[in-house]
Amino acid sequence: MSLLTLDALTKAFGGLVAVSDLSFNVQPGEIFALIGPNGAGKSTTFNLISGLAAPDRGRIFFDGADITAAKPHDRAHLGVGRTFQLMQPFHNMTVLENIMVGELFGHALSKSMDEARRDAEAICDLAGLSLLAARDVTGLGVADLKRLEVARALATHPRLLLLDEVMAGLTPIEARQAVGLIRRIRDGGIAVLLIDHVMSGVRDLADRVGVLNFGRKIAEGRFEDVARDPGVVEAYLGEEGVGADATTGGGISGDATVGDRA
Amino acid sequence: MSAGRAERSVRGRGGARAAILVVLLIAAVLPLWVGRTQPYFLQLSLNILIFAVLAVSWDILARTGQLSLAHAAFYGLGGYTSVLLVTRAGVPVLIGMLAGGVVAVIAAAALGVLTLRLRGIYFAIGTLAFSETLRVITKQLQFTGGSSGLVAPPLLGGALPSQYLVILSILGLVLLVSWQINRSRWHFAFTAIRTNEEVAAVMGIDVIRFKVLAFAISAFFAGITGAFYAHVFLFINPFEAYSLAVSVGALVAPILGGLYSTIGPLLGAVALRAGEEVLRSTIRSGYLIIYGLILSVVILYLPRGLLGVWAGLVARRAPRPAREGAWGGPR
Repeated sequence: MSLLTLDALTKAFGGLVAVSDLSFNVQPGEIFALIGPNGAGKSTTFNLISGLAAPDRGRIFFDGADITAAKPHDRAHLGVGRTFQLMQPFHNMTVLENIMVGELFGHALSKSMDEARRDAEAICDLAGLSLLAARDVTGLGVADLKRLEVARALATHPRLLLLDEVMAGLTPIEARQAVGLIRRIRDGGIAVLLIDHVMSGVRDLADRVGVLNFGRKIAEGRFEDVARDPGVVEAYLGEEGVGADATTGGGISGDATVGDRA
Repeated sequence: MSAGRAERSVRGRGGARAAILVVLLIAAVLPLWVGRTQPYFLQLSLNILIFAVLAVSWDILARTGQLSLAHAAFYGLGGYTSVLLVTRAGVPVLIGMLAGGVVAVIAAAALGVLTLRLRGIYFAIGTLAFSETLRVITKQLQFTGGSSGLVAPPLLGGALPSQYLVILSILGLVLLVSWQINRSRWHFAFTAIRTNEEVAAVMGIDVIRFKVLAFAISAFFAGITGAFYAHVFLFINPFEAYSLAVSVGALVAPILGGLYSTIGPLLGAVALRAGEEVLRSTIRSGYLIIYGLILSVVILYLPRGLLGVWAGLVARRAPRPAREGAWGGPR
């Protein structure tokens, strides 16, 4: 049975349809990547799954249960964890305290403060943050903030982790570390649904890829197949761009970081 | 952090805590002793304690990011509830006061549910409207005595030292609650909600539950204190009970003393009321203007309040790696 199933989700903001008739599923232990140009509806999809936005139509199932109407904190308790593209640490808290929030509130277990602190320290180690544990989050660099986003989400003990551009803006070395971390997370039994523009990372990680454009899913499958799909190439490069990119053979090549519509 | 340093800082914090406790106890009992010969001093101390309860309880709500201007509403509701119960139903005054606190809790829960979606300044305006509405309604109603208000029976036969002990106990309780919250898991929930509600919710925090809880706890102490005020000053009217000065005072003291802490609001309340009294007795006319000016300067230039000044002094004397808790001040 699928861990997560989206069934014909539609969400509009005013006249703008951000997500249109979107269906896909994530299997237990799988890494599924959602890619597409900016404004394609990826972040809205994450908000729908984590409960920060309600769909106009369609249903969401998690582990067989209909969670379409469930509150965000209830979804967290069921095992849906997420990070935010714009890093949103709790200021006025140390790195460790940020992670402790997840350990204290993110799951159905009831942990004492001491247990939560100890388990948060273990997650600090896993995410490579132990040296920064006692630091106030103000003044942390991008890479450390991204690590903290992931660590904090891990502290909620998710069964499905939504990663919103955790590789964007990192140096190649940092991005490779992020890939390693995401692999370790999956190997720990957590399914991962990720959004990213860093195509090398998506290629290395994803078991399956779904491509969004203007809120619709235009392709789904293995990265290699999807990257050669003419519809996908066109979506990324725009109609004028197809010819111009002929030297690289077109499409979304492995190392390109595809951001805006060309 | 090395084990040795951790141990020392824990012991240092324990020592500071004990010192604060001793100072508080002396300060608490001193007015009773001085007050035997100078009742005015006891009366002033009682006023300061009323203000301190309002400030500390207001801060508990502020920790969830809700800046309320409804403290006067709960203060007034508590006062009217108690006075009406005592005069009409013959309930003992202390029970009436407790009922005043309970009614304030119910009102806070109802208002909390209504204002949940409002944030920042909109929440403040909503709570202000609630307070002003209650005043207008109370002015119009017959059984609340309209504009002229009601005469309130005295608490404990009007014995000032006993009354002082009552408000001292209420202050002790609210300080204990405030301190306990800041060292419990609630502290994490409150701080997370204050920083970012959406992230807090995704992290598994039931935002609505904690916001309403904070509102209810905060309102209980405002309600019971409003009732105390009525039964000590022996009357209640809509202008004093639902006075904007109560709401604003409850907000200024924590800002001056240091927000989101237990000692900060207490310190701010004492400094404000004592300072006001000193100015009033030294400058005959226009003391409020001087008072306002000093306050503006202090708040403008001390963003973290009096506690921030203290922390700065300590840090300068004994430099050590910055290790701030989640509240930027002592627990």
